[in-house]
Amino acid sequence: MAQPSIDDMTHQLTQHHMQQSEKIETMYLTFPVEAELYGVAIAKVTEIVGLQRIMSVPDVPAYIKGVINLRGKVIPLMDIRLRFGLPEKDYDDRTVVIVLQIADAPIGLIVDGVNEVLDIPDDQIDRPRSYAPGDGGSLVKGLARLDDRVAIILEADLLVDTSEITLPQVENV
Amino acid sequence: MNPRPEQQNETASTAALLRVSSDKIGRLMDLVGELSLSVAETINTPELAGLDLEAFDAAAHRLTMIVREVQDAATELRLVPVAEVFRRLKRMVRELERETGKEILLDLRGEDTAIDKLVADRLYDPLLHVVRNAADHGLEDNASREAIGKPRAGRIILSAAQVGSEVRIQVIDDGRGLNYDRILTKAREKGMFGPQELPERSVLWKAIFEPGFSTAEAVTTLSGRGVGMDVLNTTMKDLRGRITVDSDEGKGTAVALHIPVSLAFLDSLILRLGPQLYCVPIDDIAEIAKPDAAGQVQISVADGAEMLRLRDRFIPVCRLERFFGDETATALNSLSEMVAIVFETSTGPLAIAVDEVLDRQQVVMKPLAGALRHLRASWGFALLATGDIAVVLDCERLANKESAA
Repeated sequence: MAQPSIDDMTHQLTQHHMQQSEKIETMYLTFPVEAELYGVAIAKVTEIVGLQRIMSVPDVPAYIKGVINLRGKVIPLMDIRLRFGLPEKDYDDRTVVIVLQIADAPIGLIVDGVNEVLDIPDDQIDRPRSYAPGDGGSLVKGLARLDDRVAIILEADLLVDTSEITLPQVENV
Repeated sequence: MNPRPEQQNETASTAALLRVSSDKIGRLMDLVGELSLSVAETINTPELAGLDLEAFDAAAHRLTMIVREVQDAATELRLVPVAEVFRRLKRMVRELERETGKEILLDLRGEDTAIDKLVADRLYDPLLHVVRNAADHGLEDNASREAIGKPRAGRIILSAAQVGSEVRIQVIDDGRGLNYDRILTKAREKGMFGPQELPERSVLWKAIFEPGFSTAEAVTTLSGRGVGMDVLNTTMKDLRGRITVDSDEGKGTAVALHIPVSLAFLDSLILRLGPQLYCVPIDDIAEIAKPDAAGQVQISVADGAEMLRLRDRFIPVCRLERFFGDETATALNSLSEMVAIVFETSTGPLAIAVDEVLDRQQVVMKPLAGALRHLRASWGFALLATGDIAVVLDCERLANKESAA
């Protein structure tokens, strides 16, 4: 499957942001993880960048690989495979970072690559209550019926939900 | 009312003053930060490595110096004297005198101490809370004071002073002081200490800053409801500050707020530990030592705790790999192969072990946000001249955690 270049993607993104702001609510950026196709609301995506040198930081969950300096902004990077509990895969020249803005803070998702931006109207998205026996299902906002495929729409806000990570609180006096 | 001399000075020099919105200054600060990073990136670009560029190096050096000065000048733009905050508190103390019926002498010191405008704007509420507590709970009423041979009027000293890169603001009263037993009983009720635990005084005093903590028998309209401490704690956390308390029963209480002068730039030392970079404010560092084999003590009975023997002192060593629970860290290097950075914290000296000291830099601070906000014992991230990112350590919280573990 031919992967569009980062420049193409960013161009597409900007186009969507600028011209179709009224439709932005139903636009999704899709990306493959193993054999599955995932989608994340375009409204949350600020840009797509190539992988750059990651600085390791302490005291973060294993799926946070570190931080990058993106034009003076510190952006934590989350390996989407590790976040989904899949085995780690070496990064290659197709690996890209999807930068999302979630609740005032940026986060970068490290993905194997990105596919196209799709317009998926709400009535094409099924929202069953739960997909998984555990809490994992809450990450899924819905399943989108595409022509011959299914895209799993992610609840981006919950990707960085830290409620499942209980770090000891330090008194700050 | 006498016109205050400070105000007169201000009117006299109005012609030389400009009113600028803080947004504009904030934007300037951001740009100066980016400028200094870009300059450093340009100068350190790997393409120049190995080239003999005498004129370039001289020009680069000049450029670096100028950027540094621009940075300092930009930082100074935001510095204002604490006098304005103090003036507002002075009015509040008059109010308190009326409400409590106590005579209070307010002594202001170090009013021209400069502090970041952003800090000054947020200082009034927490300070008001501390002053209220001093007036309401600290000071005895006039009659009781006379009965125990103290001057009739209670005294509150409000003082500001710059100590290193911190501004220390103290509220000192000469009232009844804190009662160890009463506070301990109350703290135990709240489950802060076990029934057998006898915390150190300085540790116990911190309990009074816990939300919902109040030992005053009568809840007055002024204070004693245990609210307001939230404001104090939140503000101090946001401002990267800390609170210390000192008290002598019968003689009075001193509450000190320690706040960094500027929130934007930090003069610091860059340290490397494995793949990670750390950054420590230069004023926090007491000493840098290269431990030899005789200088390290391992205590197996205390979970393999390590001590550094430095001249005639034993200093606990904090291994950041352990502190942060890094499972990928394999066997720790022996201390003698590492560099020890020694801090003097309010809970005593503490050393951390790092692989090497890289550089001394004026770094740009970025706060912790989003997925990173739970990072412990850290002020935020520092953007380095190389474009790298370091974790800024807060050695006070590092030390607190260590003593609590």
